[in-house]
Amino acid sequence: MIAIDGLQKRFGDVLAVRGVQLTARDGTVTGLLGPNGAGKTTTLRMLSGLMRPDAGTIRVDDVDVVADPVGAQRVMGQLPDSRGLYPRLTAREHIEYFAQLHGLPRAVTRERTARLITRLGLEAIADRRVAGFSQGERTKVALARALVHEPRNVILDEPTNGLDVMSTRAMREVIRGLREDGCCVVFSSHIMQEVSALCDRIVVIAEGRVVADGTPDDLRAQTDRDNLEDAFVVLAGLEHDGGGAA
Amino acid sequence: MRWMGALLAVARKELVDGIRDRRSLATLVFSALMTPILLGVMLTSTAGSARGAEELTLPVVGAEHAPAFVQWLGQQTGVKVVPGPADPEQAVLDRVEDVVLIIESDFMTRMGRAQTADVKLVSESTRERARPKIARVRALVGGYAGQLASLRLIARGVAPGIAQPIRLEDVEVSSSQARLATLLSFLPLLLVIAGLVGGMQIAIDSTAGERERGSLEPLLLNPVPRWVLASGKWLAASALGCVSVVFSMIITVNVLRRIPWHDLGIRFRVSDGELFSLLLLILPLALFLAAMVLFASTFARSFKEAQGYLGMLMLLPMLPGMLATFYPLSRRPWLAPVPVLGQYALASDVLGGQPPGAWLFLVAGVSALGCALLLVGLTARAMGRERIIFGR
Repeated sequence: MIAIDGLQKRFGDVLAVRGVQLTARDGTVTGLLGPNGAGKTTTLRMLSGLMRPDAGTIRVDDVDVVADPVGAQRVMGQLPDSRGLYPRLTAREHIEYFAQLHGLPRAVTRERTARLITRLGLEAIADRRVAGFSQGERTKVALARALVHEPRNVILDEPTNGLDVMSTRAMREVIRGLREDGCCVVFSSHIMQEVSALCDRIVVIAEGRVVADGTPDDLRAQTDRDNLEDAFVVLAGLEHDGGGAA
Repeated sequence: MRWMGALLAVARKELVDGIRDRRSLATLVFSALMTPILLGVMLTSTAGSARGAEELTLPVVGAEHAPAFVQWLGQQTGVKVVPGPADPEQAVLDRVEDVVLIIESDFMTRMGRAQTADVKLVSESTRERARPKIARVRALVGGYAGQLASLRLIARGVAPGIAQPIRLEDVEVSSSQARLATLLSFLPLLLVIAGLVGGMQIAIDSTAGERERGSLEPLLLNPVPRWVLASGKWLAASALGCVSVVFSMIITVNVLRRIPWHDLGIRFRVSDGELFSLLLLILPLALFLAAMVLFASTFARSFKEAQGYLGMLMLLPMLPGMLATFYPLSRRPWLAPVPVLGQYALASDVLGGQPPGAWLFLVAGVSALGCALLLVGLTARAMGRERIIFGR
């Protein structure tokens, strides 16, 4: 369960996030939708505890992220904007490294690493150095290490960015699996199809504000558009400034 | 210790990652071998030139113009007169000869008239190796001239002392140990470089490299305080720095055992124990240097940028070491708590045969360690800055 209220962040003269409010419940997939530069990544960075908000509160399972970022990170698993792998380590070593940082006992580490490798279809390359991995394989490794401590809250920043069809499908499977396990999943995307294929709830962000929040059906009704993509364009205010050149 | 597991996990990962990196492995081997090789070459060449001065082969051009002089030269201990080359200046420039003596054709005529005869000494004084030889030849010619002067005065019924109001006598008080210390004063400097270079690759790779790859953000998402991450990285870099210093030391001691000390006129009396006590001095310093590199490269966005910073930073621990080879830092125990300077000061005492008290080693070590921890703390703080996490 993630609750964000009145979140603000300023970079110099630019108010990147101006009062974002959203709640993401357990057992649901919440999509953070918005054009590039709308403030999605900045919001997720503040949620991750690495960036301090100028105002507002963030609570993850009743832990205050601003006051206790380490405590909040313990109950979150995150696939950040930068996947950042170590070229000389193998896929398995990446997963085990993060397990050790979470303080998991050795036996648990080994068992969970093996399970994640199977779940994400990494068996063939698990003991290869990641230097030559494809974009999809890299994302899978980054995801596996983020899930090794079995977090109740999973935050994914543009998880399907740069993935091919098969990898995208695999990613969707993982996200659905997390929902079935009762996790609170938040993911950001600027791709309509992704969000509509997966999300129980959609939060549309534009220019640092939440402009809509509801089920896909709600959004269609609210904007009087049958097509979710059209609804998004209306909500994000894109048609007023020339069709989405944000 | 609650965070010990995470700290060791970070250190182990950085070591594995570092050792798989050929670049960092090559630097480690190079840094460990550099000290003994450089020191060995320096000491043997000094020994060689000292031996060259004692057993002097002196090319003389125009020996037939001054048979008595040349005969006298040949009678001096260790001197062997040989015919000089056709073009003495070119021979010296070409480094065929270190020094050539030229006797003018009117030598005997002028001697007969009790005038001053000209003798030319061709040499190139910028050549370190040739210096002892040049000094020896000067002394020889001066000695012969002095003898002749005395004889001329006596022949005229004048006491030789009248023409020599002052006699300069060289009294060498520096012990052979101190002379050895001058030569060995390069050792601490070389060990410091070994420590610095040994851990440098890992220190850069685990900070600036982490930023360059974009792996810092995912790393910081783990529920581990930043000081634990910084300490783990510091531990890994320090470990390699220390390995480099220890190997340098072991090989260096073996090289020192094979130096022809008697040719240098020195009894080598620094025991292996005293040499190894330098390790107690340099190892804490290696921890400090690793922390220094770690801190500095945290501010670099890429490996290359970090190397740029470190080019300047590397001079910092090396400058006092180079200075120390010219202005000895010995017997200044109050320098002990200053990292780098303190180690140089105490090391030069050890090498000078006056080992300082153990408590000074402790002061120097604790101080270096304290400064290192301070730098690790600052690194941890820097790693938390938004500009550093996200600024790529």
